[in-house]
Amino acid sequence: MAHTDSSGSGHWFGEDGSRTARLMMYILLAIVLMFMDQHGRYVPRFRSAMELAFEPVFHLVGWPTKVLQSIEQKTRARADLLSENQLLRQSLLETAGSVQTLAALQQENQRLRDLLKATEGRTYQFRFAEMKRVTLDPFSHKIWIDRGVKEGVVVGQAVIDGLGIVGQVEDVHRHYSTVRLISDPDHALPVQINRTGLRTVAYGSGETSHLLMPNVPLQADVRVGDVIVTSGLGDRFPPGFPVGEVERVERDTGGTFAAVYMRPFAALDRGREVLLIEPQFLEPALQDEQP
Amino acid sequence: MKSRRESRSVVLLTMIAAVLLSLLPLPDALLPFSPYWVAMVVIYWALETEDMIGMGLAFLTGLLVDILSGSLMGMHALSLVVMVFLVKRFRYRLRFFPPWQQAISVLGLLVNDRIILIWITALLGEPMPTWKYWLAPLVGMAIWPWLFLLLDRIRAGMRQRSP
Repeated sequence: MAHTDSSGSGHWFGEDGSRTARLMMYILLAIVLMFMDQHGRYVPRFRSAMELAFEPVFHLVGWPTKVLQSIEQKTRARADLLSENQLLRQSLLETAGSVQTLAALQQENQRLRDLLKATEGRTYQFRFAEMKRVTLDPFSHKIWIDRGVKEGVVVGQAVIDGLGIVGQVEDVHRHYSTVRLISDPDHALPVQINRTGLRTVAYGSGETSHLLMPNVPLQADVRVGDVIVTSGLGDRFPPGFPVGEVERVERDTGGTFAAVYMRPFAALDRGREVLLIEPQFLEPALQDEQP
Repeated sequence: MKSRRESRSVVLLTMIAAVLLSLLPLPDALLPFSPYWVAMVVIYWALETEDMIGMGLAFLTGLLVDILSGSLMGMHALSLVVMVFLVKRFRYRLRFFPPWQQAISVLGLLVNDRIILIWITALLGEPMPTWKYWLAPLVGMAIWPWLFLLLDRIRAGMRQRSP
């Protein structure tokens, strides 16, 4: 099937033969590169350096969106702004009210803990981070955030947004890190049902719209609408952070366990800003154990 | 010789434009529909010109995409090299297809490419994408004739300016 071709290359194998040989060479090269990126040290380092060099490209690409946003903001009608202002003021008031009771509750909690001589009440510090860019692959359950080693991010740090748990830091580079979302099928999150205290594990389903809890006993008290929070077991995620609410309970699975579907609170597929929970406040219990 | 260098720069410019286009932030609802721009521009040049784009250039472009999109180094390079190989291999047949048949061939190439990428994803143990994964090649097929005309126009324009 050799075509007569005037490009001049491929005296030895014929045009098709040399092309196949070159294809094989490039495929091999690509596979070696992929392997080195996965397991080696030099390729990731090279990649970090290149990403730093290509930083302006991201600004360039993000520029049209920024312009659009600023135009939108400038051309918004005054009435819109006024009504939005009104709404925000209302919600601020409402939040302020609940925060006041929260402060009282926190104090009470602290007093009770003191009485019991239990561990100190946990206070958390957060660090703001922004999602760095859009990936080519919208199906990956990873996000990139614009904080890295230089800003004190460590592997395993919990990531939340304003609504709930988002995921945990998987890889830390110089100025950015990758975060594995809780919707990843390989991700397991120790949780408990807020109403009953039942502890279980929530697994990612591969879709950002729901998580799975396959290990809930058939006769367990689980209802649609139950709020799920982190249990703090495993010492990765601090306890008590909202994760989602029960969306569907299937008891007729014929097995030992009910299948419970949960809708995550966090904006896994559309969030832009996230918070990193500072690790030194994460494991006071562990620190106490050390002599 | 001059005109050849000129059109080589057109190739590079359109490729860079395609890379930037694929990085453009889109609303999340639109993301699955975003076609593989780089691959389509690569198909065009491999189809329409004898030697403007080879596997080497495709490989380097793929590496650029990998760096910029944060995917595994070599993943898109592999995909684009295979793409160029297939187009060159069947070039004489593809060129004389009527537009709709050519668009279907492009769909085949893009689907084949997705299969390669999904295969790498599976080897990595990453999660499998949902059915929406297969929408992008369809979108690619739909816009292929227009992209083809656009690139033809750009090329003709450049040729006129530098005889």
